[in-house]
Amino acid sequence: MYRPKPSDATIGRLAMSNQLLRVNGISAGTEDKPILHDVSLEVGSGETHVLMGPNGAGKSTLGHVIMGDPAYQVTDGTIVFDGTDITEQSADKRSLAGIFLSYQAPVEVPGVPLYSYLRTITQKRPELKMTARKFRNRVGEIAEQLDMGSSFLTRELNVGFSGGEKKKIEMLQLLLLRPKLAILDETDSGLDVDALSVVSRGIEAYRKDCDGALLVITHNTRILERLTVDRTHVMVQGRLVAEGPGSLIDDIDAHGFEQFEKASAGGEA
Amino acid sequence: MAENSTATLSRVNTPPAQTWNYLRTNDITLQVPSISRKGDVYFALPRLFEGIECGMGRQVTDWVESQAKDAHYVEVRAGEKREEPIVATMDTGVMVRAGAEATVVVCTGGGEDSESADEGEAPDTSAQPVTSASLVRIWAERDARVHVLEFVAADDDRQHLESVGIVAGDRARVDVRQFFLGARTTAAGLACSLDGANARFDLSCRYLGAGEERLDINHVVRMRGKNGRANVSESGVLDGHARKALRATIDLVHGSSGSEGTELENVLVLSDDVTNKTMPVILCDEDDVAGNHGATIGSVGPEQIGYLANRGLALEEIEALYVRALFDEAVLAAPTSAIRATVLARAATVLGEEVARDLVEGLGLDGTATEED
Repeated sequence: MYRPKPSDATIGRLAMSNQLLRVNGISAGTEDKPILHDVSLEVGSGETHVLMGPNGAGKSTLGHVIMGDPAYQVTDGTIVFDGTDITEQSADKRSLAGIFLSYQAPVEVPGVPLYSYLRTITQKRPELKMTARKFRNRVGEIAEQLDMGSSFLTRELNVGFSGGEKKKIEMLQLLLLRPKLAILDETDSGLDVDALSVVSRGIEAYRKDCDGALLVITHNTRILERLTVDRTHVMVQGRLVAEGPGSLIDDIDAHGFEQFEKASAGGEA
Repeated sequence: MAENSTATLSRVNTPPAQTWNYLRTNDITLQVPSISRKGDVYFALPRLFEGIECGMGRQVTDWVESQAKDAHYVEVRAGEKREEPIVATMDTGVMVRAGAEATVVVCTGGGEDSESADEGEAPDTSAQPVTSASLVRIWAERDARVHVLEFVAADDDRQHLESVGIVAGDRARVDVRQFFLGARTTAAGLACSLDGANARFDLSCRYLGAGEERLDINHVVRMRGKNGRANVSESGVLDGHARKALRATIDLVHGSSGSEGTELENVLVLSDDVTNKTMPVILCDEDDVAGNHGATIGSVGPEQIGYLANRGLALEEIEALYVRALFDEAVLAAPTSAIRATVLARAATVLGEEVARDLVEGLGLDGTATEED
């Protein structure tokens, strides 16, 4: 694996931080297709990590596997979150433990207004329990922060919303739930400049207000412009092939993924 | 002196076109109380209302008229925008004159404080449920706007019949929101005739069937004028041993060229013991029209379960969320605090006191009935 030497500052930050997520030698896939091969990754509390790679590399799969998506089966390895082995835990328990996965294409849920949904998922978390009145005010504040009108709340969850609106709703949930780790799966895909700006603001607010860790899955760099990245990971064909500091992103921006794909192909040969 | 007996309303709530009898979807037969009103002076609605087709059919109209103490007639003058909702009694007729706007509310609850049309209640001498009924006929003249809100939020000891008939003139706009949230039997029929050109009708029906409850719904839209628009949307949750039959008909009558009607049902079935029957029908006797219908029936989809689980909800909590969502919507739609209280009383029975309290506080509403209501 290509590992540029991390800067002293990064080393210092990592040394001081507490380990939040440890993915240890994970292999996983669907019933008939292995996708991830021996993937290991560590994320400390409050850190920002970026997972990059060409299309079809398995980046989103890793995000879903960390979240506990039953569509994927883990065949080897372990996932430890906040000191607990969660490899066998269901997605809802992982969520309550503090992991949040923002969807690339948020699912439409007809029959459930956004308000009912937000209230229910918040009430599930003892640390976030609040009176209905306070909750309404809190949602209002976040909605304002994300340039969302209050009429969103009575609409069905993600039904009939534009791509940008759906991503804003993901950000609204992120800021409301205040998870310890947020995995943002291609949150920037399909967004126009304005929507991207609002979403970036949401991510910034999460980092600032919640001091949560971020694992940003992306294959372009625009959404990273406002973030201070601690570590960058590159995935090719289900394997992590490179790891480095935030500056690795500039290298990828300039030269693309070809170097990593070639290295990966060479390694396999 | 009034003598109480029982009558049978045989094969009522029928659609314009029927299907095989063995499917047992065409109609419902109900045992209802019959109170003799011999000698009573009864004020009927103007003759014009006799011609309005009501969803549950003539037999139910005749029975309600025979049981109601009086008919309640309201006229909204041309061009007037009436802010105060018109609360329906057992037999109500509303005339909304040209360019006027009005809201008509029908609400049946379980308690004495609810605004239900209970004049026809029979004494509960056996295991027979208490019966209540509402008959509402609305005439919307040209350019009128009418909003209809229906709430049935009763307990398991009640059988409720609700029959609504609407006629819409040129460019009239009618929207109806129905919330059927509980009763041992809810039999509801609604017929809307878009007589005028460019008239529009929107119906949203939300229902919950749980335990041993029975829901029998009949929606009929007659599209008679040119360029009419009708959107009918039904969605609900069925659990326990609930039985539901929905008949939804869009009838594109000769002369309705340029009209478009759509009917869509979305049912969430949470138990294997539920009986769910749906009968969507498009009748067409005109060229250049469009009629669409669709239905989604099943449990919560795997994509939805995955998404909601990722936000911390287990399967049973996901199912409860769908039920809560129904009540949230109903509470928000309730136009008076008395109706809100009726809905909340039902919510407390279904979801528990804590959730019911949360509903009203979270939506920033008052959940108690006031004298002004």
